Amino acid sequence: MNILETKGLYHDFKGLEVLFDVNLQVKEGERHAVIGPNGAGKTTLFNVITGTYSPSRGQVFFKGKEVTGSQPNEMARMGMGRSFQITSTFNRLTAFQNIRLAILSKRGIRFNLFRRVDKMQEITAETDEVLKRINLHQERDFPAAMLSYGKHRALEISLALAGDPDLIMLDEPTAGMSRDETHNAVELIRRLTEGKTVVIIEHDMDVVFSLADRITVLHYGEILATGPPVEIRQNQAVKDAYLGETEM
Amino acid sequence: MRKYSKWIFSGVIVILLAVIPQFFSIYYANFLVAFAIFSLYAVTLNLLLGYMGVLSFGHAMFFGVGAYSTALALTHIPGFPLLPAILIGGLAGGLLAFILSPLLVRVSGTAFAMLTLAFGQLIFVLALKYREVTGGEDGIGGYPLPPLNIPGVMSIDMTDQVNFYYFALVVITICLSILWFYTKTPFGSLVVGVRDNAMRLQYLGFNLPQTKAINLIVCGAFAGVAGAVNALLQKLVSTVGVLDINTSFLPIMMAYIGGTGNFFGPVIGSGVLYLLEDLVIRFTERIGLVNGVIFILVVTYLPLGLIGLFSMAKEKWFPKEKAS
Repeated sequence: MNILETKGLYHDFKGLEVLFDVNLQVKEGERHAVIGPNGAGKTTLFNVITGTYSPSRGQVFFKGKEVTGSQPNEMARMGMGRSFQITSTFNRLTAFQNIRLAILSKRGIRFNLFRRVDKMQEITAETDEVLKRINLHQERDFPAAMLSYGKHRALEISLALAGDPDLIMLDEPTAGMSRDETHNAVELIRRLTEGKTVVIIEHDMDVVFSLADRITVLHYGEILATGPPVEIRQNQAVKDAYLGETEM
Repeated sequence: MRKYSKWIFSGVIVILLAVIPQFFSIYYANFLVAFAIFSLYAVTLNLLLGYMGVLSFGHAMFFGVGAYSTALALTHIPGFPLLPAILIGGLAGGLLAFILSPLLVRVSGTAFAMLTLAFGQLIFVLALKYREVTGGEDGIGGYPLPPLNIPGVMSIDMTDQVNFYYFALVVITICLSILWFYTKTPFGSLVVGVRDNAMRLQYLGFNLPQTKAINLIVCGAFAGVAGAVNALLQKLVSTVGVLDINTSFLPIMMAYIGGTGNFFGPVIGSGVLYLLEDLVIRFTERIGLVNGVIFILVVTYLPLGLIGLFSMAKEKWFPKEKAS
């Protein structure tokens, strides 16, 4: 079953066409990578799916329901978590407070005005558990802005994961990371997304081929090919457009 | 131990406040009430500025609308009781915030400041020109100060200034406690999230305009309560003093001087400005000059305000045993 599907998706920015007729299918439980050169429209595709923009044409289906043009908070409540290419955390809040916001959202606690949040034991316990799982428990009370780059990225990814979404959209989770940090981040993603559906934008081909079950190649806003890693590696069009002739 | 010292500290303050009218002239009691009113007012501004990250340049509209509503109710409705008179001020402030919220929640930064400035000035001019209702520049005065009726127990005369002193301080303390608790609720943590990263908050599944609107309404309502108590204290409500631009700027200065990052920062700032005014006025009338210099010094050298200076000093002289 497709948890996410786009049908004939188009998007343009004031005449600049970025997406042409994108038909993406993501099956439940798979790790789906979206790759493509810079400017291929990968992040725009994410933005259209997660509700940042409404598409110019076409439809988005999530869990079998049409969600075209929904707001980001509506998508999040339906169970779509998203991380950002450019780290976007609550910088003056501590790592703990960052994750706690995601936990509050997951539990549907929004307009509670009658209890102190720091007296909500279950929330605190669950937040601490998440921090431990992502290995940030030692930096629990550090403001997010003071975390090292790798840890800050881990927090960024975890904000998307902490709400326990059914579909996780990761926009270049390893952007700007060193080799070691990338390795750790991939391990973290692999561990935290066990058995979940993930759509991931990634530039690092090692990461893509080791993590993904299926790959979609986006090229100038069009889908060039979709298939398992082995197939994509062999695909002549993809080689010409993106991977190049050298052995990956 | 720390817990106890907090209680002792609060106890000492309560006792001090309780005995002040016995030892000092009523002038100082009223002075303290005015300080308390502006503390509450500045705290509501800081819930927007320091907590939600938007600067309101027209905050006086909530304060003023609260003051006018209370004054109008007392003038036109014979026998209007005391607590509803204060409540109506809060309702008016909250209602105004509710009416403006569809516009205000869609902007932030400079646009928010300019929009609040515009609405603040609009209401100022309305109050100035709509003389039949507001009395124009003369304002509304001479309304009765109803007694505090506790049904079946007693009726406390509020025209007695000492009684009013206690009453006003209790009302303000209750309001400050409610607001303090408000910042500690899950919703309070959302408001801080708006300041840090409004966009991300949406992707976590929170409705951003709704969150901002609720906080705006809470701030408007409590600023209205502050205005209402001010109307009872001054027994006169006129545009200059409750609706003019200075009334909008004063809490901004208080918040910055005390520290925007702390709930009690604006209270400290309000205390400093009030004390200073009382001192400076004995030597010169150029109180604005002194306030301005202090404001500039604080925003230049103490971005966290006096509270920030205090915690820096505390960390230096009494470092925590375990550096975390």
